[in-house]
Formats: sequence, structure tokens, C-alpha cells
Amino acid sequence: MIRALFATGILLGAAWVVASAAAADDKSTAALLAGQLPDDPARPLVQGKCLLCHSAEYVTSQRLTEGQWQKTVEKMRKFGSPATDEEAKAMTAYFARYWTPDLPPPRVVRAAPPKGSVPGK
Amino acid sequence: MTLDRRQFLKSSLSGAAALACWVKVPTLARAKGTADLIRRTERPPNYESVRSTFTARITPVERFYLRNHFDLPVVDVPKWRLNVHGLLEKPLSLSLANLQRMPQATVEAVLQCAGNGRALFTPHVPGVQWRYGAMGNAEWTGVRFKDVLALGGVKQEAAFVQLQGAERPTMSTTPPFIRAIPMAKALHPDTLLALKMNGKPLAPARGQPVRLVVPGWVGDDWVRALVDIEVRADEPKAFYYDAAYRFPVTPGAPGAPIPADQMKPMTKLNVKSLLGSLSDGDRLTPGVHQLAGVAFSGEAGIERVELSFDGGRTWTPAKLDAPATAYGFRVFRHAWKAEPGSHEIACRATDSAGATQPETPVWNPAGYLYNAIERLRVEVRA
Repeated sequence: MIRALFATGILLGAAWVVASAAAADDKSTAALLAGQLPDDPARPLVQGKCLLCHSAEYVTSQRLTEGQWQKTVEKMRKFGSPATDEEAKAMTAYFARYWTPDLPPPRVVRAAPPKGSVPGK
Repeated sequence: MTLDRRQFLKSSLSGAAALACWVKVPTLARAKGTADLIRRTERPPNYESVRSTFTARITPVERFYLRNHFDLPVVDVPKWRLNVHGLLEKPLSLSLANLQRMPQATVEAVLQCAGNGRALFTPHVPGVQWRYGAMGNAEWTGVRFKDVLALGGVKQEAAFVQLQGAERPTMSTTPPFIRAIPMAKALHPDTLLALKMNGKPLAPARGQPVRLVVPGWVGDDWVRALVDIEVRADEPKAFYYDAAYRFPVTPGAPGAPIPADQMKPMTKLNVKSLLGSLSDGDRLTPGVHQLAGVAFSGEAGIERVELSFDGGRTWTPAKLDAPATAYGFRVFRHAWKAEPGSHEIACRATDSAGATQPETPVWNPAGYLYNAIERLRVEVRA
């Protein structure tokens, strides 16, 4: 009896761990789909080496394999991103960890025409 | 806090939920106020039109997509000059007033980004993740390019025209946006240096004061805020011509690399249609629904659009609005009697040269020219 209760306790505990992890994962997926850059040692690198020229959606809207991320980072370095070899490696790993081919499409952001896109009256 | 998403997707219950979510494409709700665009990237500004835009022939400027490689240039219009040089008898430096005094022509034509539909390719490819709305149809008014070239006197050996606008990359190490078109297309009477879009002077993001209009051809050639035109005997060695905006001569397997010598510059748009009045996942009440969409094809014009309500087993011709134009949107309509149940709706356009939309897109490494037949699932319930 005690053994059975103990086993049930372990099972319930395990279920709680799985459920919490699932809830946290749903939350982190939602944050990714909303275009956020998750906390990570590579995040300040992205801000310093990528966002000089473009906004973060250039990262957060992509759904790529590690090989594709590597090629993209190399292309951006050729274009002038001031990332060292180590920084490029760290950013590639960061991108490949979160913005994977199986991540759902980003949340749709509706917007009014931006400045300069409609002729003046 | 960092979580290894992939691990959870594979091992936990939420994985199943997330994968189920992947199948469901986000639904584009009705326009609220003036928020008729979808922002893909804020800087530089890349915005696509919402789906409901594509039920009318002419796309209003405020609903028209925007595509930029770099930040918008600031053009001082009174000081702006268009320099035309290279293989000419006489180089030109033209002001806006010079161009305004020349004979003006109007052409209706679809402008579509090469990457429209890129997000729909499998496997995924990098680039702005356009879905349906990086296209629009406008009336473009301006000077015929051939008239400007005639002012300079094109030399016999001229074969290409190189084009550059006022925009510049943030970093000097980033390649500038330089394109080229063959002389034959430059001299075509419908190719314009446009000063107006839908009857109004071009806004800064639309290419103020002058943009190239290359009817029937892919948007990368429609260079905005033109400042430099070089008449050449050869093709330029410039990244956005020599390496980017190329399409495989022979399609390969999806995801497979394609040798550089098998990649050629894109020219004409391929045939395409979009049902603008419905979105995947829509719920409708039983009864008659007026469906509408647009179809277009490079230089050929649309011959017919057919609709299927049974997953492609049978096809019904849609009614085409007049007028038929070579380069513009052709609006199609169909009064659909919706019976209760789940329906797979597809539309398929065929152009006057007999080209039709494929079942599967031609996968290519940069995700250009997506034109596969789209299939929408709608639920009809009382």
C-alpha cells in the first residue's frame, strides 16, 4: 500500500514536471512567435552585430536549419557585420536553437502604411 | 531563462500542440481602420498587403506592399538629377522638370516582389517571409524609357541598361542595389520611367521622383528613385544582379543546391491567381457567397481562371471582369452556393500563352516566383 502510494506520488510529481515544462515551453514558443529574442549570452551580440542595419524580424521570422543559419551569418559578415569567428559561431548556435524549420509562422502584425509610403495631400 | 525548445517539441505534450499549430496558417482578419498592411520587417520597411486587398483590379497606394533592401533614401527633388551615360552619343543629366516636359504614357501593370510566397516553400528558405501580399496592380504614368534613351542616342554595341537608385546600404561593405535589363526590354514602348502611381506623384517609399516600370517583369528590376543609368555592352558584375535574384534554368529537387552557372536572372512573372475574398480556415454560413480574386501573368494576360470546390477533382470557370490587360490584375468572380460541410477550395489561372499554375511550386534556393495552386479549407455551418 505504502509502495503504491509512493509510486503514485512519483507519477504525479513526474506529470507535474512534464506539465510545467510544457506550459513554460508554450510560453517560450509564444514569445518566439511574437518576435522576441530570448535571453541568451548571444543576444547582446545580435543587438550589436545585426541590428545595426536591420530590425530583429530579419532573425525572428526565419525558420532555418543550422546549415542555412551558418550560411546566412557568413553572408552578413561579408556584407559588413563586425562579428568575429567566435561571435559568428555563438550567434549561429543561438539562431539554430530557436528559429528552427519546425517553429510555427510568426504572429501576424497588422500595420498602417509607414511614413513616406503614401503621397502627401 | 532559456529553454531548449526543440527538445520539448520532441519530448513533451506541448510538442504535439505546437506541431498541430504549425498546420494552421494564421488567418488574416478584416482590415481595422487603416491597418491594411502586414509588417514583415520594420527596418528597412517591408510590408505586405492583406489578402482582402486582392478583390479589386487597382491596388490603392495605401494598401500596396513595400519592399526595401536598405533604409529609404532622402531625395532632394529640386536638386535630383538622373544621369544617363555609357554607350550613348551624348550623356544626359535630367531634372524632374525635364522629364515632366516629355510626352507621358500610362501603363497598368502588376508589381510583384520576386519573393512573394517565399514563406510557403518547403524546405524553408531565408529572406523576407512574404506569404500572399507582396504584389499589387497600379496605373503607372511617366516617360517612355526609349524616348529618354533616344535623347542620348544609343550606340550600336549597347546590349544592357544598368540601373541604380538613390538608396544606399548602412555599411559601405554591403553591396549596393544595382540591376540591369536587356536593351530590348528597355526599348519596349511600355517600359516607363514613371513619375506617378495611380495618378499621383510617387511617394518617397514608392520611388520619388522617378522609378522604372518594367511591365510583366519581376519587381527587382523596377528600380526606385533612379539616379544612375549606364548603357552597357555587357552585364554588370554586381551582387544583386550577378549572384542574387537568379532562378534555376532547370528545377532541382527541393532543398538541393543548384550550381551557379545554372542560375539565370529572372525576367517575366509567372502565371498566378489568388482568391482574395477567402482565407484558409474561414467559417461561412450556408448559402450563396460572392467569391472574388485576382489573376495575372507576366506579359501574356489571363485567358481563364477555374475554381474547384472538391479538392481539385472538378473545375468550374470563374467569370472574368473586363478589361483584359497584358500586365494587370484580372479580377475573377464566382457565386458559390455553399452547402454545409468542409470544403477544399482551389483556384487556377491559365494565361493567353497556355501557361497554367502548377500543383507544386518550383523550389529554388531563394524562394522566388512561388505560383503553386493554393488550396483553402473552409467550413460551412449554419
